[in-house]
Amino acid sequence: MKMKMKMKLKNVFMLYFLVSICGLMYALTQLGQPCDCTLHSRQSSDLVHSRDRTISRLQGELKRLQARGNPEGPPKPALPTIYTVTPTYTRLVQKAELTRLSQTLLHVPSLHWVVVEDSPVKTSLVSELLKRSGLPYTHLCTQTPKDFKLQEGDPNWLKPRGVEQRNLALQWLRENRGPSDEGVVYFADDDNTYSLRLFEEMRFTKRVSVWPVGLVGGVRFERPLVERGKVTGFYTAWKPNRPFPMDMAGFAVSLPLLLANPAARFHLSAQRGNLESSLLQALVSIEELEPRASNCTKVLVWHTRTEKPKMKQEDALILQGLGSDPSVEV
Amino acid sequence: MPKRRDILAIVLIVLPWTLLITVWHQNAIAPLLAIRKDDGSDARRDAGQGSDSKEYCSSDKDIVEVVRTEYVYTRPPPWSDVLPTIHVITPTYSRPVQKAELTRLANTFLHVTNLHWILVEDSQRRTALVTRLLHETGLNYTHLNVETPRNYKLRGDMRDPRIPRGTMQRNLALRWLRETCNANHSLPAIVYFADDDNTYSLEVFEEMRSTRKVSVWPVAFVGGLRYESPKVNAAGKVYGWKTVFDPHRPFAIDMAGFAVNLRLILFKPQAYFKLRGVKGGYQESSLLRELVTLNDLEPKAANCTKILVWHTRTEKPVLVNEGKKGFTDPNIEI
Repeated sequence: MKMKMKMKLKNVFMLYFLVSICGLMYALTQLGQPCDCTLHSRQSSDLVHSRDRTISRLQGELKRLQARGNPEGPPKPALPTIYTVTPTYTRLVQKAELTRLSQTLLHVPSLHWVVVEDSPVKTSLVSELLKRSGLPYTHLCTQTPKDFKLQEGDPNWLKPRGVEQRNLALQWLRENRGPSDEGVVYFADDDNTYSLRLFEEMRFTKRVSVWPVGLVGGVRFERPLVERGKVTGFYTAWKPNRPFPMDMAGFAVSLPLLLANPAARFHLSAQRGNLESSLLQALVSIEELEPRASNCTKVLVWHTRTEKPKMKQEDALILQGLGSDPSVEV
Repeated sequence: MPKRRDILAIVLIVLPWTLLITVWHQNAIAPLLAIRKDDGSDARRDAGQGSDSKEYCSSDKDIVEVVRTEYVYTRPPPWSDVLPTIHVITPTYSRPVQKAELTRLANTFLHVTNLHWILVEDSQRRTALVTRLLHETGLNYTHLNVETPRNYKLRGDMRDPRIPRGTMQRNLALRWLRETCNANHSLPAIVYFADDDNTYSLEVFEEMRSTRKVSVWPVAFVGGLRYESPKVNAAGKVYGWKTVFDPHRPFAIDMAGFAVNLRLILFKPQAYFKLRGVKGGYQESSLLRELVTLNDLEPKAANCTKILVWHTRTEKPVLVNEGKKGFTDPNIEI
């Protein structure tokens, strides 16, 4: 009996080896020849190539539209609008700052620039600049109450800046946009530096999206900490215990979320560094934040500041009654 | 005790299966790769020449410059075959705000038709940061580098006006232009020195495009004034300089306040910025006096009454919280 079983087992093994070796030979011969799989892979690579072509065609269209500066009224593609809120105030470098900011914004499709001056009336400098910028814009103005205005010689962090102006922009949005409007709101100060990629990162925000900001908080950059696609904390050296320890330039809020929370605004009474939190606390929790910029590992915006130009000679001339021609706008 | 025969049997059973699976796996992938290589010649961008390596050895006195260049020409969005090219020469050096400055400068330049950006780094070799940035902008550019020897570098924050910053870099760019552009066949072109922290309106580029020799215009925030400007008489000729700081300089103008026609640069191949013994504020004069006289200057910007360029300066960011060991990840580029 045992012999018979052994014989059978041996046969089974022999058969098995034969079959597997045949299979191997077959597979080896298949290596050298283009077979049906080539057709399949050719189809898929064709698909990839045609998709690439579509992408580059669309990119070309986009560049063309940007170059034209969109003179034909409302944009055709249904891209959510980025409402860029920029508070500004009169000082020597204002025109220069707004000029170079407008040059950056001009590259971004579907962008609406909301400029709010810290002034009782709209100045002609800003009005003219906005008209010539080529951007769709809204020009607002409101004056910061005297008690909250920085005096000459005050350090810039002494009082919160741009609060009333940003709140006015929020109010304008609430009065002029409805629940059917898609969009995202970004608070862009006029002296920061923005890369063009940043705007594409924020465009499809569902609630509040966040990303790193360079050159802020006394460190090279501050950033949200991201684990498995969710924000778990913030990497910052200065006052890390704030509810939202990030800079104004480091987040964007979706328009529907703002409209759904009509009471959300920046608070003048906020402590130093807590201005951003004073708004965000009413809108989201940390778990709901959407990380951007490759899970918050790329710096796409920098908190640059411009030096105050030295006017020693100008002041001396003014004392002599020989100041430069004030009708030449600087 | 497992017998040797049994082990052999097991190995012989498992071996063909592993071989089969490996071969099959490779078989599925290899043809796909082969096909991609064949069809990979889709030219999606107008990418021109690749890299070119040259070594320049200067015979300039005792300074030996070793320079490697690589240029990539791609057509930026606006390009015309009839407008003169503007060669913008920007010296730059590594510091925390460098990437930000170059980013916003690039955002400005992307609007200007026929602009060729010549970026010269003050470094021993071209940095990856700048290389990547230039490539991503899509601009028409040339990337050069030359390191200022220690004697001529500014030490820390001390501003010693006797040592002009960016001089070697600008000179290298001038030399590159002279070596690359043929005086007889070159299309009309303008050369402009644009520092990376200034602010430029788009109009200034259109104003300078019509330069025949050297054109000039006012610049804001220089010389301790709201702006410095050339003095223009009723005949439209420059006869002096409206500045407080040494108005008797041959050319009391800032680097951002003038542009030179390329033909003039090529016809006067000895004209460079003077490297040594230049008093503060005289750097521009050291070049311009070899090119033109006051009479030849062409005033732009509505006879020098409009401000189209601002000499802004960016604050040095306070990075106190980095501490001695560094707080942030050094691999993340800023």
